[in-house]
Amino acid sequence: MELYQNIENIAFTITFVVYIAASILFLIYVAGITKRVERFAIIATIVGFVFHSGAMIARSIGAGRLPFSNQYEFALSFGWGIVLSFLILHRIYKFSAIGAFVMPLGILVMGYASLQSRAVRPLMPALQSHWLTFHVGTAILSYGAFALACGIAVIYLIDSKRSGDRRILKDPEISDVLSYRVIVFGILMLSIVIISGAIWAQKAWSRYWAWDPKETWSLITWIIYAVHLHLRLRRNWRGKAAAWFAILGFVSVLFTFVGVNILLPSIHSYAT
Amino acid sequence: MNRTVSRIVHTIASLRVAIVILLLLAIYIVIGTLIPQHSAPEWYRETYPNIAPIILALSLDSSYSSPLFMVLVSLFALNLGSCSLLSLKGQMKQARHDYFPPFSSSESQIESVSLADIETYCRKGHFSIVRGAEPEKFKAGKFRWGVFGATITHIGLLVLFVGGLIGNMMATEQVVSMLPGNEVSFAEEGFVIRLDDFYMTFEEGGAVKQYVSEVTLLNDDGSEREETLWVNRPLAHNGVKFYQASFGWTGNLQIVDRETEEVVVDGLLRSGRTYFHQPSHLTVYLYGYYPEMAIGHDQQPLSLSNRERNPYYAVILYEFGNPIGSYIIEPGDPIIHENLSITFTHSVAYTGLLVRTDPSYPIVLTGFIIILLGMFMSFYCYPRFISFSGGTVVTASRKNGWVFANSVRTALQRIANNRTREE
Repeated sequence: MELYQNIENIAFTITFVVYIAASILFLIYVAGITKRVERFAIIATIVGFVFHSGAMIARSIGAGRLPFSNQYEFALSFGWGIVLSFLILHRIYKFSAIGAFVMPLGILVMGYASLQSRAVRPLMPALQSHWLTFHVGTAILSYGAFALACGIAVIYLIDSKRSGDRRILKDPEISDVLSYRVIVFGILMLSIVIISGAIWAQKAWSRYWAWDPKETWSLITWIIYAVHLHLRLRRNWRGKAAAWFAILGFVSVLFTFVGVNILLPSIHSYAT
Repeated sequence: MNRTVSRIVHTIASLRVAIVILLLLAIYIVIGTLIPQHSAPEWYRETYPNIAPIILALSLDSSYSSPLFMVLVSLFALNLGSCSLLSLKGQMKQARHDYFPPFSSSESQIESVSLADIETYCRKGHFSIVRGAEPEKFKAGKFRWGVFGATITHIGLLVLFVGGLIGNMMATEQVVSMLPGNEVSFAEEGFVIRLDDFYMTFEEGGAVKQYVSEVTLLNDDGSEREETLWVNRPLAHNGVKFYQASFGWTGNLQIVDRETEEVVVDGLLRSGRTYFHQPSHLTVYLYGYYPEMAIGHDQQPLSLSNRERNPYYAVILYEFGNPIGSYIIEPGDPIIHENLSITFTHSVAYTGLLVRTDPSYPIVLTGFIIILLGMFMSFYCYPRFISFSGGTVVTASRKNGWVFANSVRTALQRIANNRTREE
């Protein structure tokens, strides 16, 4: 147990440091100081991701379950989801510059994780369910995708003030399209999160929907992205307003994750 | 007249109205999470003296069943329903195999493509090809049925609303506390539930691992069914669902007449409850039971866990309503009061089962499945079209146009490379 905790702690620290290094390299790349750092930034991200995965595996072995059940564990997994989303998008489209805006979000979430208690606690009865893996697993993917969309939206806002070669992504259309693809994936995953949560709540607490602050705020996030998609698809609503909406959506995600726990009494209190 | 009606219907079904209602709903829901729900009116008057009248007038103390909320949800349902109906005709037209959108975008043009390559692409990608008079010109489409994705999602939401409404009107819920041996009858459903045993299992550190109730269901026809339920494992029987919801402690109170040595009282008293012994006007108040007692920083007793490792009872005695003494006693320790010996011999835990009937759940579940299906269709099976003429491919897709054009370009490049290699 202690051995795994030590491995987890070391892997966590290395991950944190390497992600910071990757972010700095991405920023150097985006600032146009030298383009040669691009490769190193990606390699650093991959190395950090490997250590991040290592920390999660060590935690899983040490606790005897996936790291999905309290604020520290979810933040650890959330950060992992953000970096995973970025690496997948990079593998498909090769837009390294996005890293400069997404990796800091990963660091932010990891920083929050580092402030939380890392004590391994046994699962309380309500959490002892296979739905935990599915519910939280899809939440990680969903939140990771929304973080990515937020990063892309910031790029769009910066690019909209620049022209030609000074733009981070050559064509603002690309960031708009990427943002759409990522948000579409995120909202589909969020729907699965809410639905799996409802099915699970029906089994554990007897009601599929109880207007608990956590579930209510996840619904608010869902509504924000649903409005965003409708305006985009039906009204061809793009550009700055759409980008600000993507950022607002991510603020709602962060509030659902952190704000609700701090400010609103919730039946999801185990997530503290 | 018809034109007026049509205008009203189109307004109700419009996206603008949908967005306004959705945003109003979001704002309303946010307010609902900020105002504590289901407290007494006095509490709101004390806590929010300035806005309490508004909270109470708008029923914001029970936000999610208030008339205002119902109106918003009904308007949204009306908007969804009418929008889906109105757009269905156009979607049916778009789903036909000979429908093609205008191919106008210059950005989605791919030049210098051979007929063989684009045919290979369409065949591998399962596009249905529609040819005209000239064999070297054709159009192709895929996932035309994906156009129904949004409507299916909307139908799923409507099913969900119907389910929610039925649940609100017909669901019943109550909590029954049962000690081992207790029975509760469900006459209408034709059975009796008996608790055979209730126990907790513990983690190493003392935290409760699981609460377990073993029950027998005694049907009116004489048949029996033994079941075990715990948190996350509810039990369904004849349309009634039982959930492991809570638990509590009772102490076995024994009062003995010291002169005659007769046991005058022998029964279970719940923690936090009182027993009034009429002959001597004595009230026994079991203030608390501490299975693993410790003294907290405030010098008050507390229990480290629910394991019975160091059990103590906190008891207060009243005579004629006046407190006459408070005691912390171990099981079996007597409190002597005049000719009475008052003892708590042992403890028994009772289970709290939440009993719920809700005919809406299958409807809600169906709504969930339809929503996910619709969203998947809408996002990943959206209609894609290709036009080929004179070596030029033009792609068209309302959603994801850039991504589709890019994927066609990449695939054609790959096909051309493979062909060159083979040649």
